[in-house]
Amino acid sequence: MKAKVLVLTGDGINCERETARAFELAGAEAKILHINDLLSAPKTLHSYQAFALPGGFSFGDDLGSGQVLALKLQSLLGAELKEYVARKNPVIGICNGFQALTKLGLLPEPFAPRTMALAKNDSGSFLDRWVHLTAEEKSICIWTKGLSSLTLPIRHGEGKVTLLAGEEEIIHRKLIANGQIPLRYTEEVNGSFGRIAGVCDPLGLVFGLMPHPEAAISNLQHPQSSSLQNRDAPGVGLQIFENCVKYIEGR
Amino acid sequence: MMVRRLEVRDLHCQAREQSAAKLARDHLGISLFGAEVVQLFWLKAEAEQRIEDGTLESWAKQVFADPILQEYEFAAAKEFRSPAGINLQPSYVAEIRYLPGVTDNVGRTATEALSLVSDFARDHHVHVYTGKAVYFFGELSFADAERVAYECLANPVIEEIKVMDWKEYYTGKRFEFQKAPEVILPDEARVGIISLDQDGKSLERISKEQCWALTLSEIETIRNHYQDPAVKETREKYGLTADPTDVEMEVFAQTWSEHCKHKIFAAEIDYTETDEASWPEEIYPRFGAFTVKSLFKSFIKKTTDDTKAARNIPWLVSVFSDNAGIVRFDEKIDLCIKVETHNSPSAIDPYGGALTGIVGVNRDILGCGMGARPIANTDVFCFAPPDWPGDGEERELPDGLKHPRRIFDGVHLGVEDGGNKSGIPTVNGAFAFHRDFAGKPLVFCGTIGVLPHTLPSGLSTASKGQQPGDVIVMAGGRIGKDGIHGATFSSMELNENAPATVVQIGDPITQKRLADFLLEARDRELFSSVTDNGAGGLSSSVGEMALGTNGARLDITNAPVKYPGLQPFELVVSESQERMTFSVPKQKLDAFLALAKRRGVEASALGEFTDSGMLEIVYREKTVALLDLHFLHEGLPAMILKARWEGPRETPSWSTFPKLASVSPTEINSRAFLEKSLYTLLARWNIRSKESWVRRYDHEVQAATLVKPFVGSEAHGPGDSAVVWLKPHGGGEKAGVTISCGLQPKLSRYDAYVMAQHALDEAVRNAVCVGADPEQIALIDNFCWPDPLPGEKNPDAQHKLAQLVRANRGLYDLALQYGAPFVSGKDSMKNDFIGRNRFGKEVKISVPPTVLVTAMGKVHDVAKTVTSDFKKSGDLVFLLGKNTRHMGGSELEETVLLPKDIVLRSPPPVLGKENFSLYKKVHQAIQVGLLRSCHDCSEGGVIVALAESAMGGKLGVNVELEKLEKELADYQGTLAEYLFHETPGRFVVSIAADKLEQFSQHFADTPLVRFGEVSAQDILRVTRHGLVIIDAPLAQLEQAWRGAAE
Repeated sequence: MKAKVLVLTGDGINCERETARAFELAGAEAKILHINDLLSAPKTLHSYQAFALPGGFSFGDDLGSGQVLALKLQSLLGAELKEYVARKNPVIGICNGFQALTKLGLLPEPFAPRTMALAKNDSGSFLDRWVHLTAEEKSICIWTKGLSSLTLPIRHGEGKVTLLAGEEEIIHRKLIANGQIPLRYTEEVNGSFGRIAGVCDPLGLVFGLMPHPEAAISNLQHPQSSSLQNRDAPGVGLQIFENCVKYIEGR
Repeated sequence: MMVRRLEVRDLHCQAREQSAAKLARDHLGISLFGAEVVQLFWLKAEAEQRIEDGTLESWAKQVFADPILQEYEFAAAKEFRSPAGINLQPSYVAEIRYLPGVTDNVGRTATEALSLVSDFARDHHVHVYTGKAVYFFGELSFADAERVAYECLANPVIEEIKVMDWKEYYTGKRFEFQKAPEVILPDEARVGIISLDQDGKSLERISKEQCWALTLSEIETIRNHYQDPAVKETREKYGLTADPTDVEMEVFAQTWSEHCKHKIFAAEIDYTETDEASWPEEIYPRFGAFTVKSLFKSFIKKTTDDTKAARNIPWLVSVFSDNAGIVRFDEKIDLCIKVETHNSPSAIDPYGGALTGIVGVNRDILGCGMGARPIANTDVFCFAPPDWPGDGEERELPDGLKHPRRIFDGVHLGVEDGGNKSGIPTVNGAFAFHRDFAGKPLVFCGTIGVLPHTLPSGLSTASKGQQPGDVIVMAGGRIGKDGIHGATFSSMELNENAPATVVQIGDPITQKRLADFLLEARDRELFSSVTDNGAGGLSSSVGEMALGTNGARLDITNAPVKYPGLQPFELVVSESQERMTFSVPKQKLDAFLALAKRRGVEASALGEFTDSGMLEIVYREKTVALLDLHFLHEGLPAMILKARWEGPRETPSWSTFPKLASVSPTEINSRAFLEKSLYTLLARWNIRSKESWVRRYDHEVQAATLVKPFVGSEAHGPGDSAVVWLKPHGGGEKAGVTISCGLQPKLSRYDAYVMAQHALDEAVRNAVCVGADPEQIALIDNFCWPDPLPGEKNPDAQHKLAQLVRANRGLYDLALQYGAPFVSGKDSMKNDFIGRNRFGKEVKISVPPTVLVTAMGKVHDVAKTVTSDFKKSGDLVFLLGKNTRHMGGSELEETVLLPKDIVLRSPPPVLGKENFSLYKKVHQAIQVGLLRSCHDCSEGGVIVALAESAMGGKLGVNVELEKLEKELADYQGTLAEYLFHETPGRFVVSIAADKLEQFSQHFADTPLVRFGEVSAQDILRVTRHGLVIIDAPLAQLEQAWRGAAE
């Protein structure tokens, strides 16, 4: 039986289709579900083995990116989500999804006081470009297993990882020690603390990242595609979704 | 204290880097040490219910302020904490918020967020309004603080602006005695009766006062209709007066507006031209005298009919009959495309105007056929150069006009928000700069959509199927006073007293919800037809859909409103955004409304479609309008106009141009001149890299943008055309489509025939560059013209109309040679500004007649596309296509006075037949993998194209002119002409050295020049027998080309 993945949509989420495609290409069965349908039957969540919060502009980023989506999920799905995470189901938040997971308090550590936020890029504006990333091989993150370096697109205006003022170093060291920083930019792109691009929870199951792996599942999508040898080979982003499917199958 | 005020401050504000401070420094020369933006919220509960401190604080924590990033304040002033890096107190503060009734998106979201988390907020309908306080740091005068506020931060047309001494403000009682910017209108509905039994002068006055934009003869046509005894009799039956109601006159005004009716394109035109022999006929063709019954039918539609017949084109599904043209480029899906303009609103409120332009054209796609999914946006802007007028030249700009840079910044931000937040990638675009766009900028917004061939039941998605008895349902946003008279307003010239009600601000999230809902409802087949509410509001959407059933009874009593007190005519013509009109079969109404509710989309049943032959509008059980549908849509007689072409004509200049330096015949071939010209041209507004702006648009959401706006090894090179992969949208595995465009407004001063052909050729050529099949290209035309109707203030109307005729003719002639049909188009005919300059003198600024051609081309195999950047050192570089010596309209000609006797001052003609055969060859070459790079040779000529391919690939190029001696001898012109002329129909390509033979054979009968070689050295070098002609290091080229735009 295929792994079943719930991909959330609605209220301004806009990467649900490519996210679902990436999971399907990785061998899962992806279901795009409208947030209002999920919230009216919260238990539905437990019939899926993974939960994806795709990129987009939920609620127009008004009041801060991910903020109102997080409020809505918290107030109507909070208890189920807590249970879902406690049952060690993998959760991914991409871009706006990462912002929402952070606002929900699921990252970097579920159910602990917040220590992290995603602030406006240092440039003050939205940026669409491909960036080089290093994946931390020692990370506990199940999503980035086997990856070392990769190139993915970023498309955000609020991706600067910001840690609780005054305790940045302590938090950062703790995250490193726990293997909770699976992805870093190789260069300065948005002012992120320690060039952090992605963060996971201490179990490596809840993963949030600013880059868009779902937009790099084929080499055709690569910006230098016309110079690549194998233009229609799978892209490097696909492995993130395959890792999830592997984890589910291995449970 | 009924209205509470909440302030949210960033903990990590980089005051020095705030855009307000930057803008003040860069644009106004006002030295502002720093600025800080504090978010302001006003909260108001219904029925004077007080919001207690405890409640407010819990909301502040939970909803408004992020604990890691922000702090909040809602009571007394605290000790001021200076932002990092600044040990100062602010000097002034500007408090800015929207005027009552202006769309406040953040306020709307905050209101919704509160209702999610708080019973109190839900029960007492707590409403949130937003604004900002901008703190200025540094010593500046009050007058300068006001200038920064008014010229950099806010727009008084839509915002309330207060500039205050900071200390007084901060220590004062700013949390008390607050008011919310509510709209309060007397709730008293009135339907006016308008007597048309008045003299001509009075009728014209009423038309102007009411913003109808109807001419006297149009009003007389309406008057005659109302005097028809049969009409009188019917009206009596419905209890209506013999005279029209204000609702009716408004519906006429909208439906008959130039914006909606395209009267000029439908007019009968007598065209004559000069018989003076001084204009070369091979450049400016002669047509003699002729009469056109309708430009649209005689040229645009005829292009499509004739190419379709000549080539037996099977892929045209629906053209010119819907909101967008539909073509079949794939065996699984159809594509539709539409390009609109949003010029007038963008002149008044650049941000809102551009944003609304985008979400507006998205709705055209959503309302195309049975509803299409938008998959890509294209945006093209024509502006005055943003750095003009500069210091000391401010007086050049007439009163009431915004500085070009403000228009630019505002439009840019509008596009960023509009496209990004809608989740539609902005894949293609262009900028054209010319001072004559200072009066009205041109803002073109286009969208491409995808339709399945059929609905689940097998019904075609291309045709609409409303039936009498189907319910009229309006869904999406609510109706307000915003956007009243947009259609008629844009059908008039702009003046300094333009009303603010014509401005709307789009709400991308309400629209995204509406779009998601629409597509879901489509797939469940819950409606029988759909169209968007754009210009003219309900009057247009219902009026047009009623044609499908021959009647409608629209009941606006329960139309959802943003605030009470709107008059019936306002409900009917308001262009408030994010609304679609559906026809819903009665038995599906419950399911339709239930799904809408589930998706958070407001939907209201507003009457039904009928077959009565009438558009009846009902308000509170009374008929307030009864319009004969046939008369409404067909009753307007065609205008009869005269056009006369006297040859090229300079438009009178309204601004002072700096004198150009002249270059002597000896200097023109010198290394100094050629190198300097190359750098100068690369930095010109029309050529320089737009990357720093374009990267702020999301160009690859939906993960299908394969060739992106920037290409090359580090993705800084210019892309000629976007390629969108259709597989992710349900199309074939390898199927793709190109989106490209062309425009050359600066050529209008020569001949609009040539201008239009250059635009068309450029659009097609760009598509061919990346790999589109030139035999499968659909075209979209957009005309933006200065007023071509005769009038007191328009002495050269006949010339402008003749330019319009010639542009149409130009498109027809070339499109036929390319075998490319038009599938959709739009025109905007009143792009003039009349005002006074600062010396009190009346000035008129008219846009240069502009045709934008957008091309959508089929890509058979997305794995075979090519980009413009050089790929490998040692590759051979060729110039394909024919050179000429025409320098008219070239960028070089605009930077120096070229020697009189050695240059041709006319623009190069477009050689359609030769070009098309070359394009087919280029396409075949790309299909078999012969080309490593392919770049369109356009502004700045071949040398700029070489520089761009080199910069894109981070590789140098060597050109040894001694190997080109024969070509240069045949050319006869100077080296400057050879390198900088902009003759269309040319490409710079590179190939692997081992493909030379195959390449030479393939292009055997094509004009081509082996130009040089790609080199590993980072230099663009042109030599002649070892003598350096141009030696330009890539870093320096990039500095000129990219650096200037940063």
